[in-house]
Amino acid sequence: MWPRWLLAGPLCFLCAFVMMAGASIWLPEGPARIDNVAIPLVLFPAVWGVLFFYSCLGRLGRTYLVVGALTVAHLILIVWQLMLRGAA
Amino acid sequence: MIRLSQARSKTLLAIHGWSAVALGLLLYAVIVTGTLAVFEDAIGVWADPMPLAPVEEIPNGTGALMADIAERIDAAYLDEVFLFSGTGEHLRALFHYHGDDGTEPAMLFLIDPAQQRVVREVEGLSPDVFRQLGVGALRDFLVDLHVNLLLPGRWGLLATGVLGFAMLVAAVSGLLIHRHLLKELFTLRRKGGLLTARDRHALAGSWNLPFAFLLSFTGAFFSFGGAIGLPAIAYVAFGGDVETVSEELLAPIMAEDDRPSPLADIDAMIQDAARRTGAEPSSLQIHHWGRADASLLVGLNNRDGELLPSAVAYAGASGEFLGLRPALGNAPSLGGDLVSLMSPLHFGNFAGIASKILWFAMGFASAYVALTGLMLWTRRRQAEPGWRWLEKLTVIVGYGLPLALLINAAVYVTRRPVPSAAFYDLLSVFLAAMALTAFYGFAQRDAARSRRGILRAMALVMLALPAARYWGGGLGWQAAISGGLPAVLTIDGLLLVSGAWLLWTQRRAPAPAMLETESEPEALKS
Repeated sequence: MWPRWLLAGPLCFLCAFVMMAGASIWLPEGPARIDNVAIPLVLFPAVWGVLFFYSCLGRLGRTYLVVGALTVAHLILIVWQLMLRGAA
Repeated sequence: MIRLSQARSKTLLAIHGWSAVALGLLLYAVIVTGTLAVFEDAIGVWADPMPLAPVEEIPNGTGALMADIAERIDAAYLDEVFLFSGTGEHLRALFHYHGDDGTEPAMLFLIDPAQQRVVREVEGLSPDVFRQLGVGALRDFLVDLHVNLLLPGRWGLLATGVLGFAMLVAAVSGLLIHRHLLKELFTLRRKGGLLTARDRHALAGSWNLPFAFLLSFTGAFFSFGGAIGLPAIAYVAFGGDVETVSEELLAPIMAEDDRPSPLADIDAMIQDAARRTGAEPSSLQIHHWGRADASLLVGLNNRDGELLPSAVAYAGASGEFLGLRPALGNAPSLGGDLVSLMSPLHFGNFAGIASKILWFAMGFASAYVALTGLMLWTRRRQAEPGWRWLEKLTVIVGYGLPLALLINAAVYVTRRPVPSAAFYDLLSVFLAAMALTAFYGFAQRDAARSRRGILRAMALVMLALPAARYWGGGLGWQAAISGGLPAVLTIDGLLLVSGAWLLWTQRRAPAPAMLETESEPEALKS
């Protein structure tokens, strides 16, 4: 039981948080140059909610894979962005 | 009817129950205070009325008063200046800057716009300066309890964010597990002349589902957005510079120019904004006051039929009109509109008193659903000694919280002039009242008995409040009407009617059984 609750609890929150921060890199800025900041902020509860219910109801192995892939992909994006800034 | 497999229904049932039970009482506290905070302006007028209501929110001459203040304070505070409504039709002017150590040194001024004078001023760190102002502490305490649960720093926002998410989970899982949602919407079975507790819970919960979803979503956004969202995005996209993000979101685009330059006539810009748009100015933002790249943004009240707020931008040094813009960002955008939409949807302030009454009613229903849901859960398990404490605790928080807030109001309105430490005094009184209620509640034989005692105490405090307010130096009813402050009379009247009704319903023993255990909600049958 605990692997399910570990995934649905802290890991889902972590994934949603990393996705929010990472989305500010790949989302377009839009005409007001704020879409990449505002949209991830607004969608954070929705992303967290979808991940939470998916983690509770989906097949355990597959949900770990999806949540893990999303987290790692966005973490790589964030690290890449920070390294680019460091180089500049 | 939503078809789910038996295993999935069982999982959703567990999620629904435990998301509510684990955090239900804290969630209830957030909902109750949020419901009351819908009328925070009216509560502010009732608790801290000025002798005469100002004709306009920001009357002509306020800009000159701001300029007088700017001349006599440290120029560092002029970096960011906000003017917005305070309690009881007062205005609050916050002069502040972002320190290198992450703090926000600030000076906060309470302004009487009708008499064009500074009533109080405080120097310190933002947001602590708001707690040191004294006047408006009753309203601020209510809002702080709702937003932060009185916890320090970002912990409060994180806590209420998690609670908002728990409510979101309970709403969505509630929608999925109700097998006969349409039937539930219209089921009012009577038993012994009374609706059963189960039907009342399901009925209020079913009608309230869309609203619960809306409130929990927007609430989670406000809590997490400020506590962790903006700092995280600022770190990734702007190198950790929160100030740059804020300016990107709020301030008009101005080419950086730090040469000294006086600010143009603020009153003229406010009047110009009102004339151009036909809307009433409600707030002011000034960035880089005293520099050539200063900007001024006049926030406007929504005109009839408009959901999203807007603002008028000016170049601060020349007073040149830069254009009408959305409340967020320098041009219309999806992101700006989405964020701006969160505020009216959460506060219900988009259609005057009608939307506020609706939001209050739906908030009240949400509190009812949270409380009765917990009671159903605990009553079903009352044979198990391990759950009895939760039943008592539910009554203590459920009815003790409104009682403690009423006692707070009584203490606040009897102290005139309001002391600077009023916020911290209210905190002490609130905690003491909750502690006494808990002592009383746990000492009673059963939850029904303690509920009746607490409700009687609530009724007495409600009945005494209008007189306490008047004898404490507050406005009389005639003076309130002639001063254009109907909120004073309305809230006094509501307190008297509610207190009398409550006293009447609780007048004699035995206390009615709170809930019928034989009629459990379908959601709890497993």
